[in-house]
Amino acid sequence: MDIQLKRGLLDVCVLAAIKNEDSYGYQIIKDIKPYVTISESTLYPILRRLEASEQLTVYSVEHNGRLRKYYHITQAGRDRIAAFAEEWKEVMLIYQYVIREETNHE
Amino acid sequence: MNKEQFLAAVKVKIAGLPQSDIEKSLGYYEEMIDDHMEDGLTEEQSVEMMGTVDEVATQILMDTPLSKLVKVKVQPSRAWRVWEILLLILGSPIWLSLLLAALVLLVSVYIVIWSVVIALYAVNVSVAAAGIAGIAGSIILTCTGNYIQALLFLGGGLFCAGIAILLFFAFNQVAAGILKLSRWIILWVKSWFIGKGRTK
Repeated sequence: MDIQLKRGLLDVCVLAAIKNEDSYGYQIIKDIKPYVTISESTLYPILRRLEASEQLTVYSVEHNGRLRKYYHITQAGRDRIAAFAEEWKEVMLIYQYVIREETNHE
Repeated sequence: MNKEQFLAAVKVKIAGLPQSDIEKSLGYYEEMIDDHMEDGLTEEQSVEMMGTVDEVATQILMDTPLSKLVKVKVQPSRAWRVWEILLLILGSPIWLSLLLAALVLLVSVYIVIWSVVIALYAVNVSVAAAGIAGIAGSIILTCTGNYIQALLFLGGGLFCAGIAILLFFAFNQVAAGILKLSRWIILWVKSWFIGKGRTK
């Protein structure tokens, strides 16, 4: 995929991964793997950015004697997803136009 | 490389960042490595999945705002010795004025570039004004009966108006391009800071 396009999509992808239930780093990577591959080192700045812009919050849970960080989506995060969905309705229209079959010319 | 070695190596490269930033980053990678091992990978394999130490450190630093990066570079690796402090104070007329000169130079370059952009738009406005004047003049001339001259003015006015419109779109592209360039320059400055930090 085009790098610029991918970069714009990764933030929303991560938000979508925690949309329905809180999740942790490694699980997020596994969840979005069927759709887009993201490396561990790429995910970290994304999570930091989303936390800084208050689109998610972080909390720790004990797991097997160590602490695991869980990420929870905020209303701002949900708004971001909604904005993305609206935007891409337009993209879908453009896509339909671009791939349309040739019509017979008189 | 095992987990401890990996984390220690990354820590060295991001030393100078605020302690909380260091702890957060290392905590994230330690957790990630542990999760991979829980999934069945060996410690070595899990560490490999993180990427090289350089890649990881660069990602952490690149995401840090420029102001924090400047602090990293300026951070002394050990405590100042008395003679170093003395030298710094005595030499301040020199290095302070050099620093100020460099900053002023940077700011003036920036101003010059944007003055060019402003000048371009000023040209645009004057061409547009010529167009309006030409069309207005042609109307006046028509009223006074100088039809040929009126036609001349109309033609010239419309020509200028058309050029003004084209110039507007062209100059918009130039301004956008310069904006992109300044963002790219900031990114380049950041990576320069990171590169210099690595050779320490």
